[in-house]
Amino acid sequence: MNNTMQTQANFQDADGFYEQLINAHADLSAEQSELLNNRLILILANQIGDSAVLRECIEAAQDLPQ
Amino acid sequence: MTNPTAAFAEVNYTNGYEFTEGSGYALPEYPFVSPPELHTDQTLRHAVVIVGGGITGLTLACSLANQGIKAILLDEDNTVGVKGASSRGICYTQKSLEIFDRLGVYQRIARKGIQWSVGRTFAGNDEVYSFDLRQQSNFNLSAQPPFINIQQFYIEGYLVERIMALGGVDLRWSSRVTGFEQNPNFATLTVQTPEGSYRIQADHVIDATGSHTPFHAWTGVSMQSTKGDDRWCIADVRFNTHPPIERHTWIEAPFNENRAVWQHLMADDVWRIDYQMAPNADAAYVSREDVVRERLERQFGKDVQVEIVWVGPYAYKSQCLNALRMGRVFFMGDTAKIVSPFGARGGNTGVADADNLAWKLGAVLKGWASPELLDSYNAERLEAAQENVRVTNRTARFLRAPEGAERSLRNATISLAKQYPFARTLVNTGRMAVANTYTRSPICAESGGLSLQNVAFQWRKGKTGVVNELLNWAEGRLLLMVFGAQSQASLKRLKTLTEGTPLRCVQVLGKNTPAQAREHVLDSHLRLRTACQLQGDGWALVRPDGYLAAHGSRVDGSLVEAIVDTLAL
Repeated sequence: MNNTMQTQANFQDADGFYEQLINAHADLSAEQSELLNNRLILILANQIGDSAVLRECIEAAQDLPQ
Repeated sequence: MTNPTAAFAEVNYTNGYEFTEGSGYALPEYPFVSPPELHTDQTLRHAVVIVGGGITGLTLACSLANQGIKAILLDEDNTVGVKGASSRGICYTQKSLEIFDRLGVYQRIARKGIQWSVGRTFAGNDEVYSFDLRQQSNFNLSAQPPFINIQQFYIEGYLVERIMALGGVDLRWSSRVTGFEQNPNFATLTVQTPEGSYRIQADHVIDATGSHTPFHAWTGVSMQSTKGDDRWCIADVRFNTHPPIERHTWIEAPFNENRAVWQHLMADDVWRIDYQMAPNADAAYVSREDVVRERLERQFGKDVQVEIVWVGPYAYKSQCLNALRMGRVFFMGDTAKIVSPFGARGGNTGVADADNLAWKLGAVLKGWASPELLDSYNAERLEAAQENVRVTNRTARFLRAPEGAERSLRNATISLAKQYPFARTLVNTGRMAVANTYTRSPICAESGGLSLQNVAFQWRKGKTGVVNELLNWAEGRLLLMVFGAQSQASLKRLKTLTEGTPLRCVQVLGKNTPAQAREHVLDSHLRLRTACQLQGDGWALVRPDGYLAAHGSRVDGSLVEAIVDTLAL
């Protein structure tokens, strides 16, 4: 298993994924959207599983734009 | 029965639990016996003085008595538990029960306590998940069950009686330590009693006084400490109906304003119900009897008759010392670390602290090991303390998730856990205490540091034996198990090695191995070999606390090295 974070595109269909993600949020309240996002984070995190990759992903996300 | 005189100040009950309502528990009382120090001008020196007669101090005292090591135990009141107050700890792990078995009090605990293995976790009206520890094969290997629930003072009472039966440890009740000083060789304690004060000297002082110990200030030990706003109210109750003998936990209980609730059975048909209160809740109000009754009624219904045995508010802090030894003083139990109650990592850790230091003190005082062996107590039990603090802090954060991102993530976790098994691993209602592994111990090899379960084997005549019997046979020495047939050269080396070494050796035979030593046992199910982490024949060096020191494949210099390391020689 590759245990570093992917920084190059790994999507089979990036645009299709993005469309499905925003469609999933359509018609949701802010609270429902937050729940959906949180559920999705946890589901995706379990797909990765690897602690080192997860740690790197969280750290990358923490690097917020100034 | 002698009661302390009025001149002896009442004990201040400030260890987290406070007595407010209920019929209370009847606790045994022990007489104050005038010690020789009050009748001499000399200051007497003792090898070991234990301060504090809680479950930790008494476990240490019992283990020392078991090894024939003399010691003094000083306790500030005249009973076990906290007088007039609570039952404190309720849940004892397999490892603790294995230790109590070695000390000779397990049978009484098993008769009085409640065995449980099923736990269920709820959120709202839904069960999120359940487990049955009996179905987890690793728990079935030991002669002791996964858990027994029992009020802490019962175990303490059994230990007191066992210590008195064994002799050698002087239990001094109503004796409060009020002064301390130390030099590199010994410490001097001032002890206040109903008949006056005296001073004693000690080569080793063990502080097991609990969270409000004066020894932290006296020794200047540094620590990490945080106090949160999570508040609980504990109710020990009896019902006229019987809920199932299972551990039930609600992350969000509809009958407790969507806050957490714990439900556990203990001895005497008493149930402990823990209610999470609003952050910074008023302790006096939430534990008032009418308020508690109303809460119980919401959970169990109007028709259930409830007898309140004990009620008290509970707040916890998280604290860990940076060193468990300061000069002649060793810290253990709640003086070493304080954790939230989730996962039963408080009392059980104290028992393990005591078991760790007991054999080391014994080996040093008998001249079997170097005094440096005692420093390994700090290395091993500090690692355990830090691990237990880390684990319990994570649970506390899950259970007291503040509004905002933390609460939203918890909501997502709970909703997923109802749908998918993977998310149940994120639901953290407490990770039950385990025998901590030592990964950075100076006296354990890389192959060691793990606790052996009390697994079964056969004695040569077919009768079943368990690891604890071998440890007791070794009487505080190291236990060397040699697996499989040995060459003549190995046998000769083993014979030389056991002569003049604090070591007992037993040959462990597979199904068709011929016995080559008088001391041999049969391991036809390979339970001993598996417990010792061996894949094939070889040797395993086991410490008196049931921890694997090292294992290896050949009886050669590596074994000699392991023995030398384990005794810090």
